[in-house]
Amino acid sequence: MSDFVQAEQITGAKQTLDRLRANMRQTIKGKDDVIEQVLICVVAGGHLLIEDLPGVGKTTLAYSLARSLDCGFSRIQFTSDLLPSDVTGVAIYDEATKEFAFKPGPVFANVVLADEINRATPKTQSALLEVMDRARVTVDGQAHAVGSPFLVFATQNPVDYEGTFPLPESQMDRFLMRLQMGYPQPGDELEILRSTRTGYDAIRLNAVATREDILRLQALAAQVFVEDSVLDYILKIVAATRTEADFRAGVSVRGGLALRTAAQARALANGRDFVLPDDVAELVAPVLAHRLGLVRQTSDALEERRAIGAILKRILTLIPSPV
Amino acid sequence: MAPKRPQLNSEELAQLKWLLGGLLVLLSAVTVLYMEIDAWTLTAVTAAAVALVIARPTLPARVPSWVHRLAFPAIVIFFAGDLYLTKEVLPPIVRLDILLLLYRGISYRKRRDDLQIIVLGLFLIVVAGVLTVSLAFAAQILAFTACALGFLLVITLTEVPPAGDRTMAAAVAPADGPPAWAVHAHWGRLLRRVREVLDWRVVALGSLLFMGVVAVSALLFLAIPRFQLENSLFLERFMTKKARTGFSDSIKFGDVTDIQQDNSVAVSVDVSDPTRIPAEPYWRMVVLDDYREGSFRISPALRLETFSAERSDAQLRGIARARRGESVYWTFYLEAGVSRYLPLLGTFEMLRFRERQNFRFADRLGLVALRDEPVSMTAYRVEGMTQAGVLPDPGLANRLGLAAEAGAAEMPQLRLQLTEPDRAVLARVVAEIRGGRESGADEFGVKASAWLAARHRYSLQSRVPAGAGDSLVRWLDSREPGHCELFAGALVLLAREAGYPARIVTGFKGGSWNGFSNNFTLRNSDAHAWCEVFDPATASWRRVDPTPGAVAAGAEQTGPAAGQTARVDRSWSARLDSLRVFWYRRIVNFDQRTQEETLKAVKTATQETGRRLRQALERGVARLKAWLASPWDLARAGRWLAVLAALGGVAWLGWRFRPAMWRLFHGRHARREDPVRRKAGRWLARLRGVEADPAVVADLQRLRYGAPAGWPEPAAVWRKARRAARRRANVER
Repeated sequence: MSDFVQAEQITGAKQTLDRLRANMRQTIKGKDDVIEQVLICVVAGGHLLIEDLPGVGKTTLAYSLARSLDCGFSRIQFTSDLLPSDVTGVAIYDEATKEFAFKPGPVFANVVLADEINRATPKTQSALLEVMDRARVTVDGQAHAVGSPFLVFATQNPVDYEGTFPLPESQMDRFLMRLQMGYPQPGDELEILRSTRTGYDAIRLNAVATREDILRLQALAAQVFVEDSVLDYILKIVAATRTEADFRAGVSVRGGLALRTAAQARALANGRDFVLPDDVAELVAPVLAHRLGLVRQTSDALEERRAIGAILKRILTLIPSPV
Repeated sequence: MAPKRPQLNSEELAQLKWLLGGLLVLLSAVTVLYMEIDAWTLTAVTAAAVALVIARPTLPARVPSWVHRLAFPAIVIFFAGDLYLTKEVLPPIVRLDILLLLYRGISYRKRRDDLQIIVLGLFLIVVAGVLTVSLAFAAQILAFTACALGFLLVITLTEVPPAGDRTMAAAVAPADGPPAWAVHAHWGRLLRRVREVLDWRVVALGSLLFMGVVAVSALLFLAIPRFQLENSLFLERFMTKKARTGFSDSIKFGDVTDIQQDNSVAVSVDVSDPTRIPAEPYWRMVVLDDYREGSFRISPALRLETFSAERSDAQLRGIARARRGESVYWTFYLEAGVSRYLPLLGTFEMLRFRERQNFRFADRLGLVALRDEPVSMTAYRVEGMTQAGVLPDPGLANRLGLAAEAGAAEMPQLRLQLTEPDRAVLARVVAEIRGGRESGADEFGVKASAWLAARHRYSLQSRVPAGAGDSLVRWLDSREPGHCELFAGALVLLAREAGYPARIVTGFKGGSWNGFSNNFTLRNSDAHAWCEVFDPATASWRRVDPTPGAVAAGAEQTGPAAGQTARVDRSWSARLDSLRVFWYRRIVNFDQRTQEETLKAVKTATQETGRRLRQALERGVARLKAWLASPWDLARAGRWLAVLAALGGVAWLGWRFRPAMWRLFHGRHARREDPVRRKAGRWLARLRGVEADPAVVADLQRLRYGAPAGWPEPAAVWRKARRAARRRANVER
């Protein structure tokens, strides 16, 4: 690989990420692993789905990230009566110019927080398909590019909660990762209880990374070297999900690519310019789990999630990592 | 230091131990099939029970505890009763052994019990081996050795505390339900795991160990002194006699005869000069001269007159005298259960047995009969054997003359105890054959054969038409197809009717040349019967084979074309036979003489090779000296220096760019096979789980997974890694 990454670039990237990490820790207590994965998602340039019960800090997490980055931020509260045009924007007839002018919707930002995305109808959810995949919106045959970088952070409640519409598979596949927050540790929760903060607006964080920083990180991550045996490892994992009898369908090609991209990002986040098999193994669950479904019916969504996680773990133990 | 390889846990080891122990029991129980010992039911029960508990390892837990308490007293009582009732030693011991194996096989075993299984199994296999000395035994002892080695290894592994203790403790108390390993046993999964755990090093080491054991055994076999056991062993009675079809020493003509095709080997023959094998060899074994009540047998008179008194000797001088300068050796390996008569081509000069035998010899008939049908393979070597198909018998000519003068032709060779109508039929046929013209014995034989061949087709499924009178005459007069015995019998009757003494000879005809072991093979399906007709003119017995497709006596040719190309057998069964021949020639038949010869040959070969090597070395040194001593001028020295420099340069370049070269030669998969990456991977595995310097690990990781452009100098990294490993070793110490 000729475009070999300079050591200074790596150090620079690491410093940027360290700053972001330290910043987010101020508001998100005791969730370093989640912060880590969020950062990987940012570096990989992928969209993130945070799923958990209401009130465990999903939105706070997304807010903290958005505030730590010095770039355009918008928030869409998804409800059942939200329309696609409310998300993407709409062309309005301008009396003055006598023609339709496009009025950009809230997705025209760099970081979009799609709060409680599964409370909108599938129609509205699908409005996000194009923008998440291509980073542009097409209205009335005209394509409008959204910001760059473009990151969607969606939060959702577990799908079988009242008044939710499950995201379609095609939509799920477009998220790079799905994370669970989980309840904080007692010590951390105590600290949260002690704090005086009440609302999201009270989150006061300084932006520690610029748009250019993020773009540079993403470009650098794409250059992280992946050795053939590691690619082979990824291939074997993806192939194993396709032959696994318990899964409805295996991981898509996009899923395999996502795993590679995420592994590259993780390598960069750890200050390396090459991917280790460990990077891949660590990311299998967050990157692949939401792309899979079980053949058999489970009692609830959490149960299914656990079963998929267990099967993925078993697949990982069966495939020897390249030595 | 130890890299984290996948390992079997104690449960899986216990399962493996159970499986291997069961296999050992099965392997050793099967040996009973080779012996003539009444333990078949017991063996069948053992095999079934052990196979069942292998398949379902939880079953032994269901056996109530009183069974375990009573098992040993019951076995002892059984053995005592058995011993008392049978009044023999070996069969009860074998049965006791199987009973113990059965008990051990179906109960959870401690370490001591596992070792017992090996000893008990070994006892059975050794007894069976001594009794049968068959090729199957060789295969079995090899399988047993491999299995027992694996078993011992697993036993040793499971004894490692503390994980083993729990398993062992569970195994001790069968009353408390099945142990955990038995409950979780799943053989498919276990085999998959074993395959996962086995890497090439374990397999290579195991194979090496196994080959080592076999090699040491082979060396011991070569080196230990020989002594003859067979005839003095009391075990002979227990050997299984295998009944074979094909050869018979009395012929009875029934209504329907179907000859079974048995393609197993009856005799293997080594010939020192293969070109001397006749194109259509007739291996004589028995002469049947007495035709009475529709069957041929040896007449008591012939038996008394021609067979010598029983002798016990290792060699035997025949009546033939070999011509000077040619000594063809024929070594016969007669399989057990074929016959007590030895197959021979004709008369011979000298016959040597491998060991002293009890036999009777009929020199005029060219036959040798052992006292008993041999129960193991019998080997003998024959020198100066005639093969012309003509057997001189001047005595008979004299007696024939005397009998003719006396007018009482009461010789078995001429006897025709037939009714008048039967005689009339024969007379008619003989007249038809002669066509009103007197002929010699040879000519009559040819004509009669032609007559028979014109009327009867050759077939293994023959039928004798119903009716009154002699069955052979009925067949003769019909147009039914027949087999060789019918053709030969009919010809004998016709010849006797015509006034020529005639008899049936049975033995083997033909055979095939085994191209793998270079020996001649006679199969039971080669068994044959033909005639000998006495020709008063030459005072000799002439071979006549009336069966269609046969060659007349004297018309046969010998030669390489006849002996080898026509019958070369290159089939798979020939391969297997060659293995048997090797087993007999080199292993079973390995006596003191062969031992000396082999050792001498090995010694000579070693010395010879050493001498040649030394000579070659000396020659090389001398040449080098001469080359150095020849005058050196500037041009010559320069030329050689240039050559050396070029070689050194190429070597340096190769060393410097070896990863690149590697990639060049290995195409697109080069990166995965890159030697630097591989070595770094090995170091990473070694340093895994070690408090190694993170910088060293990072460098190794970069070499293993990073882009080559960013690689640190590999040699320096290896040095650091070695130091880290050493430090770790020191800390451990």
